[in-house]
Amino acid sequence: MPAAAQPASAPQETSEGQGTLRKAVVVGGNRIPFARTGGAYTKSSNQDMLTAALDGLIARFGLQEERIGEVAAGAVLKHSRDFNLTREAVLGSALSPETPAYDLQQACATGLETVLGLANKIKLGQIDSAIAGGVDSASDAPIAVSEGLREILLDLNRAKSLPERLKVLSRLRPKDLAPDAPNTGEPRTGLSMGEHQALTTAQWKIGREAQDELAFNSHHNLAAAYERGFFDDLVTPYRGLSRDSNLRPDTSMEKLATLKPVFGKSLGAEATMTAGNSTPLTDGASTVLLGAEEWADARGLPKLAVVVDGEAAAVDFVHGKDGLLMAPAFAVPRLLARNGLSFEDFDFFEIHEAFAGTVLSTLAAWEDEEFGRTRLGLDGALGKIDRAKLNVNGSSLAAGHPFAATGGRIVASLAKMLQENGPVDGRPARGLISICAAGGQGVVAILEAYSAPEGR
Amino acid sequence: MSTEQPLILGDVPSLSKLYVNAAATAARRRMLGFQAATVLPQGSHEVRGVQADVGNLTAYQHLIGESASDVLPAGFIHALAFPVAMSVLNRDDFPLPLLGMIHLQNHVEQLQAVQFGELLDIRSWAEDMRGHRAGTQLDVVAEVRSSADGALLWRGVSTYLAKGVFLPGVDKATTAAAPGEFTPPALTAVWQLGVDTGRLYAAVSGDFNPIHLSLLSAKALGLPRSIAHGMYLASRALADVGSVKSEAFRWDVKFEAPVFLPARVALEISTLHFASGAWEASDYVAWNPRSGRRHFSGSVTAL
Repeated sequence: MPAAAQPASAPQETSEGQGTLRKAVVVGGNRIPFARTGGAYTKSSNQDMLTAALDGLIARFGLQEERIGEVAAGAVLKHSRDFNLTREAVLGSALSPETPAYDLQQACATGLETVLGLANKIKLGQIDSAIAGGVDSASDAPIAVSEGLREILLDLNRAKSLPERLKVLSRLRPKDLAPDAPNTGEPRTGLSMGEHQALTTAQWKIGREAQDELAFNSHHNLAAAYERGFFDDLVTPYRGLSRDSNLRPDTSMEKLATLKPVFGKSLGAEATMTAGNSTPLTDGASTVLLGAEEWADARGLPKLAVVVDGEAAAVDFVHGKDGLLMAPAFAVPRLLARNGLSFEDFDFFEIHEAFAGTVLSTLAAWEDEEFGRTRLGLDGALGKIDRAKLNVNGSSLAAGHPFAATGGRIVASLAKMLQENGPVDGRPARGLISICAAGGQGVVAILEAYSAPEGR
Repeated sequence: MSTEQPLILGDVPSLSKLYVNAAATAARRRMLGFQAATVLPQGSHEVRGVQADVGNLTAYQHLIGESASDVLPAGFIHALAFPVAMSVLNRDDFPLPLLGMIHLQNHVEQLQAVQFGELLDIRSWAEDMRGHRAGTQLDVVAEVRSSADGALLWRGVSTYLAKGVFLPGVDKATTAAAPGEFTPPALTAVWQLGVDTGRLYAAVSGDFNPIHLSLLSAKALGLPRSIAHGMYLASRALADVGSVKSEAFRWDVKFEAPVFLPARVALEISTLHFASGAWEASDYVAWNPRSGRRHFSGSVTAL
């Protein structure tokens, strides 16, 4: 396949004969407020929350009984019975039951990856409209039976006679009855995500105060965004919540400084990661409406932003070469190079705050000469971002992080920010999204404010 | 309805207390040979500022197969209004025995979607006591209004039969409306109802009528086994009709053979669309797949 052997080029610049790609436009988004685990959504399932977010989107954009090209969403903590989670949510929503759907799972990058995958289908002309999304419940998490009990139950089902069944049952031991709850540990290292990040945070010499400051900014930026009504057309109340329940508008550097470290305690005095500068477990769901320009125009729907391009990366965290959550440090330079852009060409940076240490370690890597030369193959450091452009309306430290729902939250908010911002030096406003994920992965993307083509 | 001012109840009455009181009243009437009034009480009962409990709402939605949205299912509103309705039937001057009454049919008009968190005024009264070939029937009406602006949101009419009770002055039914022949259609769904179906619905609806709870409690009231709540069955059928239905709709159900638990119930749900393609109505019918006896049938229709 000669085409595949060519280096990937910017998607707008397809070679002759292949036809030009269409634009994939972000029309808008809707999410339910994110709730700390054990809070307002304790009894709500992933399907409930995804359906609630979907129904809010449908109501906002008048999509009742509309057949959407495709809906893709996912959950990181997913019950085995929810194998068709997204399709079931569609069937429970006001969309046409003839709307196809699929589930996707790429840990915390799930939501952003659904946006990129569906945007690509729109660009290729395979579909005209799409809804991307994600949901997670840490409250209503699946609990599996132990491996021992599972084997016994399966054998029991296969046993044909009563003596056979009794023989199988006689293998049952008390320890088999202990359930197997999910945890945030990496299967290959046994370390939790927080412990992994603590190592990275120490490796990049990120201080406690810098992390607390990032958390402080996140809360204050998110609170200010709520105050000026930024989320009025991005969030639908659910179960009595109208704002993210993790948000602490009155938090201060002093308060954050009083918290004791919870991760990396083996580092002793170097332990810097607290409950304040780490994201808590959260429940919530988000959705994003995407479409071709013609599709949005035919319905009189807004066109906020264009999904320009995306890139995934992964790092070898198992053998210690890179930190678990450092993949975006590699994905972003590749994405920038492919699109011929540098940090100066961006007006907004949305870097998911899994931990304050993650954001700061990533920024430190990009600013590091040696990392740029030896790991990124550049002449020097990738560059420094203008911190005034970082997570200006708050991010996961304040809003919370229902794993698969974070991508949709960021894409919808950024699309609105880009549209509100207007052109910059004659070009459309541009935003960079960076999301780290379990398994040493990361997905990043570029969004641009929508601007009508010449003559339209 | 009567023009009298409603009797305002301070709080939603406890259904379990009402059932105990109903049992005591029944015993007293039997022992004393005491015949209560022969006409329906004129007044209505009302509870103001009722709010759905979110945990209860979620449990109800999950049990009947609705997604846990912030919109109260029409059957959930029936359950909210049920204690107020039962308090009318539990009055000393109510002429029919509450225990053992049979739910014949139910008619609901959902005029507006009711959001979780809205404060509701619930008023109920009894009307139209009339003859039935097997006893005496009456309608219990419940109206649910927004406490904020008084707008009527939901209206339900439940028709009950007091079997074997013939009151002086109440006309006998003129025609014996025996159920017609029923040929089961091709099924579109099957429900597997466990023996605990009645207990589970009692827990979310508060309707702890003993005929639904267990074999023994049902036997005490003369039934061979416990039976599923009629409103559980109708609410599940409404959930199965799904989110295609419009915000305002009419929902009817007519109950025939009771569903003895545990059970397999076969269903057919068929949907009609307007020429525009919008949903117009869904009809449902449920039957015992072994005997072919019809359990209930009804419809959901756009308003």
